[in-house]
Amino acid sequence: MGELTFAGMDGIIILTVFALIMLVIGYFSGRGEKNIHESLSGYYLASGNLGFIALFFTLFATQYSGNTIVGYAPSAYRTGFSWLQSISFMTIIIGVYLLFAPRLYVIAKKRNFVTPTDWLQHRFNSKGITIVAIFLMLWGLGNYLLEQLVAIGQAVSGMTGGTIPYQVAVIAFVLVMLAYEWMGGMKAVAFTDVMQGIVLLIGIIFFVTGGVYLAGGNFSDVTRFITETEPAKTAVPPMEVNINWFSMLVLVGLGASIYPHAVQRIYAAKSEKTLKKSFARMAWMPLLTTGLVFFVGIIGLKLFPGLEGNESEQLVGLMANKIAAINPFFYWIMIVFFGGIVAAIVSTADSVLLSFSSLISNDVYGKFINPGATEHKKVMVGKIIGIIAIFGLLWIAWYPPGTLYEIFVLKFELLVQVFPAFVLGLYWKRLTSKPVLWGMILGAIVAGMLTFTGHKTVFGIHGGIIGLALNFLICIGGSYLASTSVSKNKILEEDMNAVSLKA
Amino acid sequence: MNKNIKEPIRKKWIWIGLLLIVLGNVPWYFSKGLVEPYILGFPFWAFIIFLFSILLCAYLSWVCLTQWRIVEDEEEAEN
Repeated sequence: MGELTFAGMDGIIILTVFALIMLVIGYFSGRGEKNIHESLSGYYLASGNLGFIALFFTLFATQYSGNTIVGYAPSAYRTGFSWLQSISFMTIIIGVYLLFAPRLYVIAKKRNFVTPTDWLQHRFNSKGITIVAIFLMLWGLGNYLLEQLVAIGQAVSGMTGGTIPYQVAVIAFVLVMLAYEWMGGMKAVAFTDVMQGIVLLIGIIFFVTGGVYLAGGNFSDVTRFITETEPAKTAVPPMEVNINWFSMLVLVGLGASIYPHAVQRIYAAKSEKTLKKSFARMAWMPLLTTGLVFFVGIIGLKLFPGLEGNESEQLVGLMANKIAAINPFFYWIMIVFFGGIVAAIVSTADSVLLSFSSLISNDVYGKFINPGATEHKKVMVGKIIGIIAIFGLLWIAWYPPGTLYEIFVLKFELLVQVFPAFVLGLYWKRLTSKPVLWGMILGAIVAGMLTFTGHKTVFGIHGGIIGLALNFLICIGGSYLASTSVSKNKILEEDMNAVSLKA
Repeated sequence: MNKNIKEPIRKKWIWIGLLLIVLGNVPWYFSKGLVEPYILGFPFWAFIIFLFSILLCAYLSWVCLTQWRIVEDEEEAEN
């Protein structure tokens, strides 16, 4: 994001206020709650006790990051009306949740799961699957975290007009995030998400209002202008774009719902009612976020025609400068908006970090290195390794990649390979561990190879989806070949039959 | 099976409905020239896609609220 001429000192003030609010929320979340630091579930899942408001906002603020605005508006600008797909691929995530969350919630509560790996281990009892899944999930989370760290720096230094340089910006917000997360764990993350989510929503709504005002208030004029200047952006998309659209729906839907931090929000829900109410509200949020951001990108085509590649990445900054110049009210709104973007990035990064730490605590350390350790010690190990990982990733973040969207697709490619084990395992008793393990490994290899050899998509289909198709084939075919009888594992029988859970 | 229990995965029609909405939500079935008429500033095809997007939100939200009830009664009773 380029320099914002309207910000500077005022931007610093707003960012400081936001940072202080986050710290205060973190402090109060952790105060007097001994349980938070003494138990894995207390620290990583807020003892499975998140109510509707906290759960809804933590789902929201975690799923929608600053990138959703800063990266998606330029995508709409570059692709035109076919970027309407961003509404559907964010909505479809709820559809995929419905495939597995209802049953997983019941089992997770009964068995006191802390991480997604707990479910895989419980279901397959295979070291191989556990290790490969941990690896894929840590990879996905690490990549995601890296992307957020890059974005924090760009947003802050853009907002303060370079007064706060990129590196200082990242370090400052990382320290704030680490501090409140250390104090309050998931509870702090969820409560700060409430504040961060509200600021983001207000910001987007005012941003679009300002954009529509600048464009003359008439959306039809904007579309006509685009049809005249760049007809491809309003035309019916060609077949390859449509195939890619379907592929995006599958990739984002399956990938985003299976993210470890997303799964842990299912575990953290206070009750089934809270969870389903939160999902029901979440289903509408794409219209208010990616939908509005889509409008921003389209309006941008009229306000700033002819931006190419990296130039178009500056769109949100360019537009904010114009909106801020309308009057003092919009000036302050734009400052709050950019603060909101930073808050949104932090709110995603904190959840990802917490999930990363939980995988280290509960899975790597707790399952393989020192299973006998106290929960306090496991939590502590996760916290400390999390901090070390952050600084390792920061080192990489100093050399940020060009386009945000490019890395967004990359992280899903591998992570999504956990999906068959995770979801088929919930319903299909015949699914056995060997095919699952090989499906995961080969799927990941195919997805990774396709991406690294420059075939991110083949005929519009993402490499991750091709890998996943192979993965499913191996899981299903292999399980049919491997076993002739359905396993009679008693615990599994009980889990598989949701009704018997009521006994 | 307990009749009060509702689990989305067991209801085929939910997934058929979802598939139909998704099929309508991707503009593969429009012929090239369907840009005009503009509706509320949208090219014709994009307006239809936008309507399907709203339908998708509404459908999934409704399914969450009405077709999912496994342990709710039990949890409510505990409180």
